[in-house]
Formats: sequence, structure tokens, C-alpha cells
Amino acid sequence: MKKKLSQAFVLLLVFTLVLAACSSGGTGSFGGVESSGIEAKSEGNGEKTTIRLATWAGAEEAKELQAILDELNAKSDTYEIVQDSNPAEYDTRLLTQLSGESGPDLFWVSAQRAAQLSARGAMLDITDRLSSSDHIAGDLSDYYPSSLEPFKVGEKIYGLPWLQQPVMLYVNKDLFDKAGLKYPDDSWTWETFMDAARKLTVDQNGKHPGEEGFDANNIKQWGFTINGWPPVQMFIWQNGGEVISPDFSSSPIDTPEAMEAFKFYSELINSPVTPSQQTIRDRGFDAMYKKQEVAMFMGGAADSLDWDVDFNSQAFPVPAGPDGKRVTFTDILGMGINAKTKHPDAAFEALLDLTDAIHHWKIMPPRKSLAELETLKELQPKKAHSLQAIIDSMEFGIAYRYFENYPDWDNIFWTQLMDPIVNAGADPEKLVPKVKSQLDEVLRNYTRK
Amino acid sequence: MDRYLDTFGRWFLTPLLLALVSFIFYFILRKAGLRQRQATGFALITPWIVGFLIFTAYPLIYSLYLSFTEYSLFGEPRWVGLDNYIRLFTQSVEFWPSVRLTLLYAALTLPIGVTGALLMAILLNNKIKGIGIYRTIYYLPAILPEVAVALLWRWMFNSESGLLNYVLKPLFSLFGVDKPNWFGDPDYVLPAFIIMSVWGIFGTNTVIFLAGLQGIPKNLYEAAEIDGAGPIRKFWHITIPQLSPIIFLQVIMGMISALQIFTVAMFVRPTSAAGKFMNQLVYEKGFTQLHMGEASAIAWVLFILILILTLLVFRSSPAWVHYESEVKR
Repeated sequence: MKKKLSQAFVLLLVFTLVLAACSSGGTGSFGGVESSGIEAKSEGNGEKTTIRLATWAGAEEAKELQAILDELNAKSDTYEIVQDSNPAEYDTRLLTQLSGESGPDLFWVSAQRAAQLSARGAMLDITDRLSSSDHIAGDLSDYYPSSLEPFKVGEKIYGLPWLQQPVMLYVNKDLFDKAGLKYPDDSWTWETFMDAARKLTVDQNGKHPGEEGFDANNIKQWGFTINGWPPVQMFIWQNGGEVISPDFSSSPIDTPEAMEAFKFYSELINSPVTPSQQTIRDRGFDAMYKKQEVAMFMGGAADSLDWDVDFNSQAFPVPAGPDGKRVTFTDILGMGINAKTKHPDAAFEALLDLTDAIHHWKIMPPRKSLAELETLKELQPKKAHSLQAIIDSMEFGIAYRYFENYPDWDNIFWTQLMDPIVNAGADPEKLVPKVKSQLDEVLRNYTRK
Repeated sequence: MDRYLDTFGRWFLTPLLLALVSFIFYFILRKAGLRQRQATGFALITPWIVGFLIFTAYPLIYSLYLSFTEYSLFGEPRWVGLDNYIRLFTQSVEFWPSVRLTLLYAALTLPIGVTGALLMAILLNNKIKGIGIYRTIYYLPAILPEVAVALLWRWMFNSESGLLNYVLKPLFSLFGVDKPNWFGDPDYVLPAFIIMSVWGIFGTNTVIFLAGLQGIPKNLYEAAEIDGAGPIRKFWHITIPQLSPIIFLQVIMGMISALQIFTVAMFVRPTSAAGKFMNQLVYEKGFTQLHMGEASAIAWVLFILILILTLLVFRSSPAWVHYESEVKR
């Protein structure tokens, strides 16, 4: 009897010890489940619901965001937004959390992921809530249509964008003055752009490309820089082409318009007006612009390249295509509600308030009513000189044609076509036919359902 | 107070539940005829069995099931049969290059790693002063965290400002060769990975070989010397055969781990023109493209591949692995 008792005691002791050791590592994940479970019980008493917001904000951004959240939380009596920022491996963490039961209620999401997640039902359908809401940020007609696309599946909408960043042409005005060039204007096309780039490329002896004695191995200043960014799609659109047809049935990258754009892109990569990929990797892509080794740079409207530099810099609209067509690429970022959230009403309210707040914080808000020069000048004084160009660019800014399996398509587009063109000097004419059939295959397989 | 009760309950109930399960297990075993000692033994490892079943066996079987489905983490898995595998073998642009890259990497890294470690172990097998310090130094790479090391390597291999190219500069100018762009040029990516992996596993292999070397009976060498054997003969006919079980172990373990390379590749991020390793492909298909079914299929193909190669090595072992207890035919 004594032996059996001591055996039982030993067993219990061992297990408790084992679990104590294991659980101490696991409290982090358990904590999340608890808080949302416990808070749900308190919702009925009129206490504020805790809404968890997942973001990718780094240290600086998270601090600024926290200030905004404090303001919102003080004003609201329904919700209390708590920030959960994870700059590293945000996507993977978000996916795992959303597929489980302890995910955040609100989360920041890139356009590409938004398209994926909306189509798969991971984001809450807010179509009806939006139409019955009279919140200023819930008025869909105020948004630029292209900014809502990644969040829509058919007629339903699953999230709201809080930023739409058009690609701008940042210009080193000092170098332009030195070369005697006029700043970019609405008349600029690919030709004018190339011409300017050539005039802004100087070798050690002050010679330009095309001149006698120009030494391509000894360039000290380049007119432009390119490394896969800006995306070739922008140039294809400017020339009237498409990479994914509007009905998602094929990838028309072999049309003459698209081929011309690929050739222009390839020309830019291989011409002496841009540094080699090796040089860009070693010296830093935008670092070279900041150090005045590159005179023109295509960057997002929110970049600080027009004020955080020690020369005169300004953002202009990107040059138009050969036929004068004006298009620029826009990067869209937004926010969605977890389809499995336990507090959809509070989360929806928080979504609207926070989206509006971010519209007043970051550049550019995807709303026509906020695209007023004077309003923006107050919000972004440092970029005052570039703001008109940015506002103009919003009119012709579009994004990729995202769909449910866009990453599959993008993977092939990049690894089989663009990476060889950019990094291995491959000839687009030879690659495009081969890759087109692979891209069509992706579209055929996945958009059928 | 509410939440503490919740946690406490969970922390108390789970060990209690496990204890109950092991008790039941114990009684079942006893009824099945096992003696008290054996039944107790098995009952006491119940936590491990439960953990294994829940966290290893179940995901394993489930991933096999998933490999026959289309599953994006959201919604239900949709059965597609062998579709994933067929598409992988016939249509995927990245699959076969990835298999080739992974196999090539393992095939190159293994001989270099094992041979180098063996030679190093022989060197370290001397009784000179301070030999303990040398042994420690050579073992250090094994205890460093993989991610930190990968990031450091990325810096060291930087073609313009990295330490490696700086140190090797005179060599390059001697041969008139351009500074290699280690992670940017597809031709140099594999050598870079081989260098990193050999550096990493060197220490562990060396220490194991060292232990093996010290287990070889001295009288064998003495007998050989009396018969007039030189150092090379002694090495080839005594050291190698005596060490062969350990070499066998190292080859198997090294091969299994080399074929599964992931962390270094993900943090070093070589140019995509060089291709991706199979585990990288699994991650990308699963988390970037949200095709968990396809990712599981790739993972199982990798598993079968490793299994086949391991069995081949096992099959070949009677020819070159000598165990002490063996009786010569």
C-alpha cells in the first residue's frame, strides 16, 4: 500500500514539474486567448471593449501610432484599441493568428494580402455596415476607386485603405541646374526623360554618354537608378499595355505595347545612365540618391527624399508614356477586421475612427476630400513643395490587378522574367513568350473558381 | 481574480489529467500481462508519448492528408487527390531546379565537412600543451545561434565591404579574377553556402571524431608499427576502419540535415536566379502563396528523398563500416 501511494505521489510530482517547465514558455500565447475570452464577458456591462490591433510599425512609427490611439481611446466610450506591433515576419505571424482563434480584432494589411485574405473569408464583410454608416471615413464615394480594389471581392468590400502612395519622380534640383536642364513638367515623356538622364550622367572627365571619350567604367554621377523598382508594370501601363487582362483570363505581356515597355526597361538597366546592379547593391539604392551620385529617383510619395537630404530636392509626377498617357503605380495599405472577431461592432467603429485618423497622419490619404493642397500643407509641412504634384498623381494612379492567388503569379513574373532581365541582362524578347504561357497557366488554374 | 482562477485551473488540471491517463495506461498494461517494473516504466513516459502524439505524429499524418488537398489556412481543405504531386513534377517551374540545388548542396558539403573534420580531429588528437583550448575554439561555431550567424555571414560575404573579399583581395588580383559577388551571382551562391555550412558543422563533427579517435586501442598501432607500417598505411588500414561506424553516423546525420537547409537560406536571401532550396520552397508555397497542400506535398517529397538516400547509405554500409562485434565471414 505504501509503495502504491509513493508511486502515485512521484507521478503527480513529475507531471507537475514537467508542466511547470513547459508552461512558463507558453504563457505568452495563452495570455492572448485569456484576454479576449475574459473581456467578452465584460462587454455587456457598458465597459469599453478591448480591440487588439496588429501592426507592422517599427519603434518610431509605433510611438506615433500610440499617440493617435491614445487620443481615439480617450474620445471613445465603446472601444479601447491596444496596439500589437510586430515589424519582423508580420505576414507569417498575422496569417497564423488569423487562422487560429486568438487573432487580433483589427490588423494592418498590404494590398496583396488583403486581396488574398478577403477572397478566403479571413476578413469580415463590412459592405452592409458601410452602407448604413454615416461616418465620414465610411463614405466609399470619397475614396479613389483604385484604392478600394484590393479590398473588394465582386461587390462586397472587406476592408478600408488608409494609404495610397503614388510613385513620384524625385529630382535633384541642384544637379539639374548644374546641367542647365528644366525641371520635369507635364510634357515629359520617356524620350525627354532619357534625354535628361543622359545629360545628367557624367564620367570622371565630365563627359556624357554618346560623347567622344565617354568612359562607361568611370562614371561618377548617374542620371537615374533602377533595380526592379520602379516596377515594369508602370511603364507597360504608360504605353497602353497590361500584364493581367481585366477579366483575369490571360497575361498579355507579348503585345507590342508591353514589349516596347520591356525593351525600354531593359534599355534603362543596361544603359550607362543607370549604375550596375552590383554598384546599387553595394552603395544602397536610395542612399545613392541621397549622396547625390544619382540625379533622379522614382520613389513613393511618402518617402522623405524631398526633404531629408542636403540638397534641393522635389517630387514631380513621373513622365508619361510615348503617347502622352499618364499613369503611375500606387502602393496601397489598409486595415481589416478579423472575420472571427468576437466584437464586430466595436471593431467596426474602431476601424472607421482609426482609418480617418491615419488619413490625417500619413501621406497620401486615398480620399478625394482630403486631397486639398491647404489641408495637406498643414499635415505635411515638410513636403509642401511636392504636394501639388502628389495630389495630381493620385488622379492617374493605379495598383496591380490583385486577385486571390496573386503571389503565385507574381512569383513567376519576378523569378522567371524580371529577375533575369534585371540581374542577368536577359533579353525580354526571348523570355516573354516562354513566361507568358506560365503566367497564363497560373491565371487559368486559379481564377476558374 | 477571475483570470487567475482560469490559468490556475488550466495549469492544475492538465498535469492531473496526464497523471490520470498514465494511471489508466499502467493498469491496461498490467492487465495485458506486463510486469510491474515494465508497466511503471511505460506509464512514466506517458507525458512524452502524449506530447509526441499531439505535436509530432498528428501533424505528420495531417500534413500527409493535406498534401492531397488545396488548403489556404482559411476555410476547409479541398480534396484534389494527386493533383498537387502531378503539378509539382510536371508543371512547376521551380521544383526540379530546387531538387537539383538541394541535392548538389548536400553532395558537395558532406564530403568536405566530414573529411575536413576528420583531418582536424587527427590534428587535435595530440597531447600538446593547450590542446583543450584549441578544441574549445573549434567547437564554438556549434553553440552560436543560427540566425545571428546567418546575418553575420551576410555581412562578411558582402562583395564590396565584406571581410571575406577584403582578406582575399590579393588572391583575386593574383589570379586576375573579379571580386565575386557571393550572394548576388548565381554561380557563387552554392560555394558561399558550402563555406558557411562547413564552418558551422565542423566543430561538432570534429569533437565526435576526436572521441572516436581516442577510443581506438593503441595496441593496434603498435602492432602495425612492428610490421613496418608507415603513417599513411596506419591511417588507411587502422584509423579509418576503426572510425567507420562514426563516419557512417556523421554521413547519415550530415546528409539529413544538409538536405533540410532553411534558416541560413532565409536570412541570407541569395538572388532568386540561383534557385531556392526545397525547404524554402515549402515555406514560400505555404505562407506567401497560401497553398498549404502544395507545400505539404513538397515537404513529403523531401522526406521520401531523404529516406531513400538514407536507406542507400545503410545498404552500402556492410561494404565499408566495420563494427567491433562483427565476425569476419
